Amino acid sequence: MSPPTAPHAARWLPGVVVLLALVAAAATLTVVGVRGEPAAGTRADQVQQIASDLRCPVCQDLSAADSPAPLAGQMRHQIAEQLAAGRSADQIRQGFIAAYGDSVLMSPPRTGLGQTAYLLPLLVFGVALVAAAVPLRRWRRPTGPGEGAQPDGALSTADRRTVERALIRLREEEGR
Amino acid sequence: MSTGWRRGLLLSAVIAGVLSVAALLATGLGRDPAVVASPLVGRAAPAFELAGLDGPAVRLSDLRGQVVVINFWASWCAECRVEQDALKTTWSRYRDSGVTVLGVNFQDTTSDARDYVGSLGIRYPIVQDTESATALAYGLRGVPETFVVDRAGRITDRVIGPVSAQRLADKINTLLQAGAR
Repeated sequence: MSPPTAPHAARWLPGVVVLLALVAAAATLTVVGVRGEPAAGTRADQVQQIASDLRCPVCQDLSAADSPAPLAGQMRHQIAEQLAAGRSADQIRQGFIAAYGDSVLMSPPRTGLGQTAYLLPLLVFGVALVAAAVPLRRWRRPTGPGEGAQPDGALSTADRRTVERALIRLREEEGR
Repeated sequence: MSTGWRRGLLLSAVIAGVLSVAALLATGLGRDPAVVASPLVGRAAPAFELAGLDGPAVRLSDLRGQVVVINFWASWCAECRVEQDALKTTWSRYRDSGVTVLGVNFQDTTSDARDYVGSLGIRYPIVQDTESATALAYGLRGVPETFVVDRAGRITDRVIGPVSAQRLADKINTLLQAGAR
């Protein structure tokens, strides 16, 4: 097999670049997802981490960790008390969900309707892959004199007939 | 598939998407903002024991067997004044029928709360949620908010914003009739 010629490599290059970018993005997302958030150290860090997952109920899109509202301060106080009482972070979160519902979470839950928020980007990613594949297929097609071109550059049957008809017409016109 | 068909299909998909989003928005806009789904409705009302503003402490478990209207309010809340007539009417109408109206003062100073209660002539019991622990247990998102608890101690209704006397009467009558059967 002979090495690819320069025009052949140029056709493949955009596809390879897109593929590498997609693989790099997928790898980064996987690493971030697997590692998760770094573990909290001190009790204050733990309080801050749990509070950052919870929405301040009287604020516009601020977490209980970031909000200066008194009720958010009370949430942080309750979190600290419950940690001191030996409750786990998940148990504490569940306590707030019991009172406020899933809407108290800053990120949608990974169950029920909340899964949509996680699945939708994957769906969009899949659609984007398909959308990228269509032009890639076009790039791969040989750019000959139309559909059905022969690999050695010879005319296809349809093209040959078109040329023959054109020649016949030309001769007829010359004969008049 | 011809180009025309492809374009038609794409256009149909876009129109279907836009219509779906519009339908979702229309559904949301049609909802009554005072009626907010709460995971607590239908479940046991969170227990509490709160100090009275000028009376004895109140423990929710002591009110078991009564219909309890729990109203969270604050002196700095303008909308809380709007619903005062409804709460006072409910209290005077149902207090001898096994119904308690309980005001829970939220994030306030004692002196401001006393001034408010005195100036508006409130006679039903008032307690103070000094650490907002009860507010958090009830999933409070602001004041005023009102919860109706049945005789078995279950939350049957939650109203965000000023509550009307009619809504309270409808709910209380239903609960009293259910209890009388």
